[in-house]
Amino acid sequence: MRPRRFTTGALYTGLAALSLLWLVPVMTAFMISIRPLDEIRGGWWNFEGATFTLANYVRAWDQGLSSFAFNTFVISLGSVAVTVAAGALATYALVHLTFRFKKLWFFLLITTMIVPIQLILIPLLPWFRTLGLDEGAWQLVGIVLVHTGFGAGWAVFMLSSFFRQIPKEMLEAGTIDGAGHWDQFRRLVLPLAAPGLVSFAIINFIFVWNDLLLALTLLQRDYQPIQVGLANLQSPHLAQQDLVSAGAIMAILPPLLLFASLNRYYVRGLFGGGTKG
Amino acid sequence: MTVARQEARLDERATRSARPAGNRLAYAFLAPLLVAFVLFYLWPAFNTLGSSFFRWGLLRPWDLFSPSQWDFVGIQNYLDTLTSPRFWNAVVNTLIWLVVFPVMVTVASMFLSILIWQVPRGGSVLRAAFVLPMAISLAAAGVIWTFMYNPDFGVLTRFVQWAGIDFSIDLGPIAFRTRDWLSDPGVIDLGFSQIRLVNLSLIVAGFWAFTGFGVITFTAGLTAVPDELLEAARVDGAHPGQLVRHILIPQLRGAMIVVATISVIFALRTFDVVWVITQGGPAQDSEVLAVLLWKQAFVFLDSPQAGLATAVAIIMSAVLIGGAWPYLRDLTKDAR
Repeated sequence: MRPRRFTTGALYTGLAALSLLWLVPVMTAFMISIRPLDEIRGGWWNFEGATFTLANYVRAWDQGLSSFAFNTFVISLGSVAVTVAAGALATYALVHLTFRFKKLWFFLLITTMIVPIQLILIPLLPWFRTLGLDEGAWQLVGIVLVHTGFGAGWAVFMLSSFFRQIPKEMLEAGTIDGAGHWDQFRRLVLPLAAPGLVSFAIINFIFVWNDLLLALTLLQRDYQPIQVGLANLQSPHLAQQDLVSAGAIMAILPPLLLFASLNRYYVRGLFGGGTKG
Repeated sequence: MTVARQEARLDERATRSARPAGNRLAYAFLAPLLVAFVLFYLWPAFNTLGSSFFRWGLLRPWDLFSPSQWDFVGIQNYLDTLTSPRFWNAVVNTLIWLVVFPVMVTVASMFLSILIWQVPRGGSVLRAAFVLPMAISLAAAGVIWTFMYNPDFGVLTRFVQWAGIDFSIDLGPIAFRTRDWLSDPGVIDLGFSQIRLVNLSLIVAGFWAFTGFGVITFTAGLTAVPDELLEAARVDGAHPGQLVRHILIPQLRGAMIVVATISVIFALRTFDVVWVITQGGPAQDSEVLAVLLWKQAFVFLDSPQAGLATAVAIIMSAVLIGGAWPYLRDLTKDAR
């Protein structure tokens, strides 16, 4: 049954209109960010005598967005590095080794995918104080470790589906050659699971980059990431949409670019190489 | 059956008597992750549970190891929470999210995916428009939607004016106004409880950001539909509507469960969008559980309400773990 030409045409038109409609919010933020505030009051879609300028970005950058952006990169890259490294090691043990309490650990790890972060949020602040993680750059170390701990379930869940795809025979061949588990992990599993590691790293990066709640709760002003800066800049009582929109565009650009360029990896990561059910 | 069980038992024995060396080796691999996991997940989670039976505040935190400082109140925090009107207000608002959000996401993303799937060429370009907002942080999505809802120059406000559908109705129990999307769009009075429409404004923002997840999931589900099934239906002369209803929707059951489950979890935990757009306001009209809890723990510093907040956190977690129990068990089965 080939759809008739009319149906296909209508389908295209309808879907194109819908997808354009879907982009209106982003378009709105972008147009507000590149025009002076007093022009916006007439509606951003009104292009009569429009001026386009990067002044909003420059002002937002000078008003502290630069340090917010820097912190976000440090937190995101740090969290991804630690989570992927520790996650890959742990997943190797969970997939290829037998040990006591394996099921229990796996279950506990997986609960992080379900429970709200509020379950750990409230005692974390005094706990940071006890550990000395509440001062200076230690805060960044602290939040990286929290992201690692709370991201552990996703790491193990996603990576194990990739690790399991490595044929058992290849690993057995390695054992016969006298390779220890460390060698196997480094020489065989890591290279073969590399696409899986990349997928998970992307998903984890976007997740950490976009976190608001942890950073809002745990970090002091000088160490906050851009999402917190954005939330604080946003206020219903202040007309500073020019600054806020520039901040919003800068906050969404890195994950958006990463997502758009590596979309295939992202999708593969979400479904671990095959959907069930 | 018996053989399988015997094998399982043998297997279990093998695991139990796994040489200590094997255990040590495995735990060496696990150590880095487990250190972070225990220190920054299990221990704080345990503290949340423990401290929910005490009265405490962040200025005087609860500490397991200094019993002399304890102010034990038993289950009083839970009783206070469950009898507080503000808690039930947050429950109602969270319930609105819990019902409306998953339905919107699941239905819209399923039909979008099916429609895009029918297009002979260029489907991935069309799909991208719906999927891209997924990469946008919910904080940024919230900010962006305050522009959409802006009473002066918001697209929605202006569109309503331009199209001449700017109206307000007031029918006693139902009040609605096509302005003030965030300050006072109206209310539906059910008698025993009120549904504040401002929650719907916030849900739309979350829906816009989250639908991409559904589109990706349903698209993956659609590619898994066997071609023979579609071919057979075509030979039988099924028209597109029948194809969708009798072939695609049953085949997409798995994807539907995934999308519904994840969006229920999302709705119950929702914080960012609400915090950025309204902070729970006006008054407490859009205060959801996560926002109430945050305020109790970190805003009302003078009165020690952190104990109440931990009680709310435990209630939320219990509901989520209870509700997601089958899903959790299913996931754990993967650990062989």
